[in-house]
Amino acid sequence: MDFGLTDEQELLLGSLDELLERECPESYIADLDLTHQPPTSFRKALNEAGFGSLGFPEEFGGTPCDAVTMVLLAERVCRQGLNNGFGLELLQAMDILEFGSDEQKKEILGLLAAGDVPFALGFTEPGAGSDNSAMSTTAVHYDGMVTFNGTKTLITNALQSKYLLLMAKNPEVEDKRKAISMYLVPMHAQGVTTNRLDKIMWNISDACEIFLDDVTIPESCLVGVKGNGFKQLMRNFEFERLVIAATCLGLAQCAFDDAATYAAQRVQFGQPIGNFQLIQLKLTDMAIKLENIRGFVYKTAWMLDNDVPLKSQGALCKRYSAMAAFEVADEAMQVFGGVGVTVGTRVSRLWRDLRGHRFGGGTDEIMVHIAGRQIVKDHS
Amino acid sequence: MKIVVAYKWAPNPQDAKVRPDGTVDLSRAKSAVSEYDPVAFELARRLADATGAEVIGLTVGAAAIDTPLARKAALSRGLDRLVLVADDALAGADGTRLAAVLAAAVTAIGEVDVVLAGDSSIDVAEGQVPLTVAGQLGWLGLSRVSSVVADGEGLTVERDLPGGVTVLAVQTPVVLAATADAVVPKVAGMKDILAAAMKPVEVLALADLAVPGAQVSLTTLATARPAGGERQAVLFDAADPATAASQLVGALRQAGAL
Repeated sequence: MDFGLTDEQELLLGSLDELLERECPESYIADLDLTHQPPTSFRKALNEAGFGSLGFPEEFGGTPCDAVTMVLLAERVCRQGLNNGFGLELLQAMDILEFGSDEQKKEILGLLAAGDVPFALGFTEPGAGSDNSAMSTTAVHYDGMVTFNGTKTLITNALQSKYLLLMAKNPEVEDKRKAISMYLVPMHAQGVTTNRLDKIMWNISDACEIFLDDVTIPESCLVGVKGNGFKQLMRNFEFERLVIAATCLGLAQCAFDDAATYAAQRVQFGQPIGNFQLIQLKLTDMAIKLENIRGFVYKTAWMLDNDVPLKSQGALCKRYSAMAAFEVADEAMQVFGGVGVTVGTRVSRLWRDLRGHRFGGGTDEIMVHIAGRQIVKDHS
Repeated sequence: MKIVVAYKWAPNPQDAKVRPDGTVDLSRAKSAVSEYDPVAFELARRLADATGAEVIGLTVGAAAIDTPLARKAALSRGLDRLVLVADDALAGADGTRLAAVLAAAVTAIGEVDVVLAGDSSIDVAEGQVPLTVAGQLGWLGLSRVSSVVADGEGLTVERDLPGGVTVLAVQTPVVLAATADAVVPKVAGMKDILAAAMKPVEVLALADLAVPGAQVSLTTLATARPAGGERQAVLFDAADPATAASQLVGALRQAGAL
């Protein structure tokens, strides 16, 4: 078993380090967090350096990239302290590249190449989140047009996006799974309004309620096959869970490094607090959790690369990584003491952002639901 | 036109440890393209793109400089091909010796118009190799180059000197040492890194090069870190802001800060 990096991975991470040092210093991230702005200039720099098209098929101007390399890059970006979710752009592109029309592909890839966020995923509703079958937003097709009505909520990056990748159901289809379709709806379409939700974390990504009030557009906005929306969406969920786990790993590593450095420098009772065994116990347990997350993330990526069926692996990885990473950040806060909770410290931002990953992309509890079912099935 | 980028495969300072006595321990540092050299790669690539020239990387040193990683690291930074002299006879060689080998390799490559290099290496930082190469070749050598563009048969070169910027019309062949901030180097992307493995590499044998024998021997007797600035802790009475500002400016000038 080889735990080393390939030459290409080492060089790519070196390039990313150069870019992070130049385009994404802590002062930049702290300012984005304070002003609730997205990392647009860093995204552009990533795209200009070719990182934005990693994993895209060559026919669309991309460079094929394995999942292990993708998670290494995602981890490195987040280790800088940026809750960016490197690789989610690829997920967005894949939804369209796999199921979209030529026109949709051209539009979305163009936006990605420009460093923009092409679309927000319109999935969650006030009455439907983990229970997607309770979705109530409707899509009614007639005469080549489609009309949407409903409300979406907690939609990430809605204000930054030109489109909404909307999940909506045909009210005439009884089978809830077959009723849902996927649509690419312009955010500026008549009848679309947004309401920004104030939140205490993920400040660089906005979250919105989106109201669809008789939004009527040509049905060429359909992505893929009518009635296959949920299947299409599920197809990339495994990779999304992996990217979230890698994000958690990077953010937790950043919190750990800050805490360990602080422990080595903060003097109480005439010596650095890192000399005290209670602090050493915290740092040791944090280091063990990081090693476990890293092993989980890399192995899951390796399974994807080698076509090993993931079954419950993605859910197990996401659940453990999100929970353990938050525990690492929480202990980092404890090492910092009162300093950690003051506004502007990196550790407090990491703590806030990591808390969100325990429900973003699927709650801890839904991961149990997914993994638990599979485990029982495998042993029946 | 043929452009050679002379660079060093040197320890990465990010892995350096500073010992309590102030000396730097690079023994555990991984090697990389020396920190100031990517600027030379970028200047060369831009000049080549404007003129249709070929860009050839050149590095010399101990046998350990020739690894697949080292080759790809250089070739991913805009080179068309790479030439190496990797021989343990060059382990620990001083700048004069390395410059002699570089000059001999430039001659072996043949018909080179421009040699570009970083201002100095990250590990030794003497800043003398590029101009020594020029001396060995008998070519014009210019340090502190902040810009180079093709201009008819020659080049227009800008130098960032302490007294200001000087613009020069230069005929080739020439050796140019770039300032560390002359340009912002392009970051190598995945495509560049993957393409690097496909580019040609030529290894020259040290014994086949016309290198003058090592006549200079150098022994470092001692090193010391620069003295830290002493805190002056001067307070100015700000009752009259204009006077206080004037006193502050005067004190900063006296300290050489302005």
